[in-house]
Amino acid sequence: MALANVLGFKSNNEFDRSLQCQKTDNNIDEFCPTLNIENIAQFITLPPYADPAKYLKMVNEKVDRVKIQFLKGTTTLAFKFRNGVIVAVDSRATAGGFIASGEVKKVIEINPYLLGTMAGGAADCAFWERVLARHCRIYELRNKEKISVAAASKILANMIFEYRGMGLSMGTMIVGWDKRGPGLYMVSDDGERISDNIFSVGSGSIYAYSILDAGYKYEMSTVDAIDLARRAIVHAAHRDAASGNIVRIYHMKETGWEKIEEKDTNDYMYQYRDEKTMNF
Amino acid sequence: MGDDILSYNGGVALAMKGKECVAIACDKRYGVQNRTIATNFTKIFQYSDHCFVAFCGLATDVQTVSERLKFRTNLYELREQRKLKPVVLYNMLTNLLYERRFGPYFVFALVVGLDPKTGETYVYDSDNVGAVSDNVNLATVGTASEYIFGLGELFFKPNMNSDELFEATSQALLNGVDRDSASGWGAVVYVIEKDKITVRELKGRQD
Repeated sequence: MALANVLGFKSNNEFDRSLQCQKTDNNIDEFCPTLNIENIAQFITLPPYADPAKYLKMVNEKVDRVKIQFLKGTTTLAFKFRNGVIVAVDSRATAGGFIASGEVKKVIEINPYLLGTMAGGAADCAFWERVLARHCRIYELRNKEKISVAAASKILANMIFEYRGMGLSMGTMIVGWDKRGPGLYMVSDDGERISDNIFSVGSGSIYAYSILDAGYKYEMSTVDAIDLARRAIVHAAHRDAASGNIVRIYHMKETGWEKIEEKDTNDYMYQYRDEKTMNF
Repeated sequence: MGDDILSYNGGVALAMKGKECVAIACDKRYGVQNRTIATNFTKIFQYSDHCFVAFCGLATDVQTVSERLKFRTNLYELREQRKLKPVVLYNMLTNLLYERRFGPYFVFALVVGLDPKTGETYVYDSDNVGAVSDNVNLATVGTASEYIFGLGELFFKPNMNSDELFEATSQALLNGVDRDSASGWGAVVYVIEKDKITVRELKGRQD
């Protein structure tokens, strides 16, 4: 970039969109360093005193009647089976007793072969999974190969671990298909990252687990797997007050994810009652 | 839901007036914070031919207060040899609740009634220590009361007949409970007229 050098053009890094000319804009560089996703941690401002983790913890516990409590009022589940991974979520967001929304999209489409679920703080999940999407894309460009689910979930877990104790609230499942086959990891705000065949997160997870554990077989057909996931969410929506409204189901296959359905849980509840598999 | 005692069990009730008829409706959920345990817990109790009370709040107090009030109304009918009137009922309720002024029951109540001879309608709203409102057109109690109040005010018209009253009450209740996580799971509506009382179960969202 010889012409750029002659003009004294200086760019912050190779992905920088905001171009600064050194000679004329010298001062601007100092006062407004360009915000880009690499130095984003500087712009997520922490409180300006020592040991923010200790003070922020007080905001989450009840001290002086102040308490910001993020309750994971939701039901999300994912399980591996012979033909991939099924992901199913509800769509209710509650703020205390108030149902703030019945149409929240709790499955985050990170890229065409990776999905993440949302439980806990919606902003936390949506933001960090978008940062994860960027890291996955850069990996793909640099290595000419899709990132593995293990690596993707590890990147997310490590990012969250830096903010441990500061009040992030996330209980997310990273789902994908890589060269090792279907992948499912649960990552949470305390830095936990584990892999297993069946996971459910949220206040309704206890009800979903009972349905899943009763009907799960690794060799299930896709149709049976989708039915099991749907029933688990519908039963959880019925029993748990903080879950409900719409059930969304995705199927992670070798070729990427496919959205299976998005239907009202209430219609299924009445259908199951007629079939005598639900009682109310 | 937090540690608020009035939202521990959840539940909601609504009462509305019409022309020579009154309606009282409640949801059917019994739950403990986020967990729904039963969907057949109605909160409306009958004390006389045309007198009904709905209690909302802590479920144990709903049961206790309704039964203690029944005890007092039974004795009244035996001693006085006549049926209860709505005004008498609400006075008895006020006294019952105020007796526990410094350790109160955690229930809010709605008293509704009709005089079968004159067609006069009564709807009263009580807090948990016995403060009773005047005879009002519309009253709600419970965790979803604010949402139902808004809808009730919208649907209410003076001098509705019993069908219009039923529609207004049902729509206000069903749509209001869909915004509250602690109420719903079905509803029941009583429409009280001079010559008959109609009980209808509503098909509501079960989540």
